[in-house]
Amino acid sequence: MSWWTTLIKQETTRSRVLAVTLLTLLTLAITFILPPVADSELAGGAAIAIVILGLSWLIGWSGQISLGNSGFMAVGAYAAGIWAHHHTTTPLLFTFVLAIVAGGLSGLVIAIPSTRLRGPYLAGMTLAFSAAITPLAQNFTSVTGGEGGLFLNSLVTPHWFTNLFSGPNAAIDANAQWTADLAVVVAGVMFFIMANLFHSRVGRAMRLVRDNEVAAELMGVHLSRTRTMAFVIAAAFAGLGGALYSLLEASVRPETFPLTLSITLLTLMVLGGIGTLSGAVLGGIIFSFSATLVAHVNSLTGVNPTSNVGANMQGIIFGVLLIVTMLFAPRGLVSVKNPLRRLFRARPLMRSAKEVH
Amino acid sequence: MHNIFGGLAQGVIYSLVALSLVIIWQSTHVLNFAQGAMGMFATYIGMTEIDRGLGYWWCVVLSVLVGMALGGATERVLIRPLYGKPEINPIVVMVGFLGVLEALAAAIWTSTTRNITEPFSQIYYQSHGHLVFLSPFVIFQILLAMGIMLTIAALFRFTKLGLQLRASALAPEVSRLLGVRVSRMLTIGWILSAGVGAIAAVIVASGSFGLFPTNMDGIFVAGFIAAAVGGLESPIGAVAGGLLIGLAEQFILAYWSPNVAPLGGIIILVVALMIRPQGLFSKNVSRRV
Repeated sequence: MSWWTTLIKQETTRSRVLAVTLLTLLTLAITFILPPVADSELAGGAAIAIVILGLSWLIGWSGQISLGNSGFMAVGAYAAGIWAHHHTTTPLLFTFVLAIVAGGLSGLVIAIPSTRLRGPYLAGMTLAFSAAITPLAQNFTSVTGGEGGLFLNSLVTPHWFTNLFSGPNAAIDANAQWTADLAVVVAGVMFFIMANLFHSRVGRAMRLVRDNEVAAELMGVHLSRTRTMAFVIAAAFAGLGGALYSLLEASVRPETFPLTLSITLLTLMVLGGIGTLSGAVLGGIIFSFSATLVAHVNSLTGVNPTSNVGANMQGIIFGVLLIVTMLFAPRGLVSVKNPLRRLFRARPLMRSAKEVH
Repeated sequence: MHNIFGGLAQGVIYSLVALSLVIIWQSTHVLNFAQGAMGMFATYIGMTEIDRGLGYWWCVVLSVLVGMALGGATERVLIRPLYGKPEINPIVVMVGFLGVLEALAAAIWTSTTRNITEPFSQIYYQSHGHLVFLSPFVIFQILLAMGIMLTIAALFRFTKLGLQLRASALAPEVSRLLGVRVSRMLTIGWILSAGVGAIAAVIVASGSFGLFPTNMDGIFVAGFIAAAVGGLESPIGAVAGGLLIGLAEQFILAYWSPNVAPLGGIIILVVALMIRPQGLFSKNVSRRV
């Protein structure tokens, strides 16, 4: 684990603020160096990282599995999108709050029947939800714009920011940079909130419910209320992530939220590491550069990227990665020990309980 | 009345998928999220042999055999290392397998829909100038599905293999002491289930829906809902659940809109689970402390 997660583990709010702020500032600095294309990819990754964070919280901390997060994303995106399409001058903050509330409410609706369900029932139920949500969007064409979706232009670059740029593509470069910075800041805020949630009363109660229901009930933790809470929070994060992603894409369309998106989210979350902040960051980074990564694999293996095989390379790689990670390193990339670090680490006399586990 | 035929025709497919899920669930307590995709993949391998001049029925047999082999291999390679692990692990692995199969199928056979020349006419019969939603193909579809269900039921009820399968699902330790090779039974359960799933996929591909890499997605979801409504433990519940979901979708489709139909299944599931959280046909009492 990196130094900043160690910082977060010191259970003080100040260290969390410090760690998240530092990481956010660092990422902001990186966006100034990266080319505009990479900036837009990074922005998408930041939006997805928010969704992964919610999923990680749900699966890792409350032990409930959801394959419906693409559905929650769609709800948040459509709530924000329908509003922003008609009220282009609304402050962004309001749009984001709208997405969070809508996502959370959809989570509540799904959670009420779902918290009675366990593992596979829950997974199937949420899968059915995300399968039903995009056809619904296609059905009410007058509100949602149907197949073509709605056009959004809420992310306007302020003039002072554009003025920082020169050259023939100043406006486009400034826009890529501005949206990336915005997405990174929003993600930073959400990571800070989640870092606190992990260690909050709800977070601790949730872990207890996951590990030992009977003990939790004896301690006075309300089981179904805690489980519902986990769902609502995860769905709210997904709603915000979906809205941010759609705003970045400048449109909200059903095809942004296919059933396979839930699989992609799950893969990224498992790859990064279930239930960790750094895992969600890693997942977001992998998402940002997955297109570049896949292009590399294609050129390495000599596959034509426009051929059938090339076009489906991402699906194959992601699926195989998901299976391999789950079989051989179920706690994700963050759990894979860095061999160099082991050499330099002082040997503790007693290992902490967490490491033994 | 004609809606009932349409609903039954769709419902038997859901019943088959639900049945295949229940067979695996009973023996290994894994919900196979790749069930639909495995059937789709087997159908691609089998049915594309039509292009090389193999007859329709041989292709069906080939598809089912490939499906069964795929099922057995999946259990041995992907599922076996995960017994005793948290129940999330096999779910994640099978979701990954679903992604791989669909992407592979699109990579090999493209994602354009293939229509397989069906052995029976798809044209609906008419009665007094009105269409009845009943064609020779629909009749074949219903009869084949019912035949498969009866065969599976007979296999479990009347044969020695069926007894061993049921015993190793119910009490693995005792069965092992009595000489049943439990681990082999688990593999056989997966093989049987994958065979049933492959037949469902062949019927779907031969019908008007056609064959494409994601053609089983919606059907898997409906099949899962059917199995869950029936309680995941009960084959009869799965079949009844499938027919119920099929009929409900058909009526929503006829009187409202096809886009709302998937929602109907969810509503049925929610209502059913509210009434009996362990499923309508399950004998198990819930295990709450």
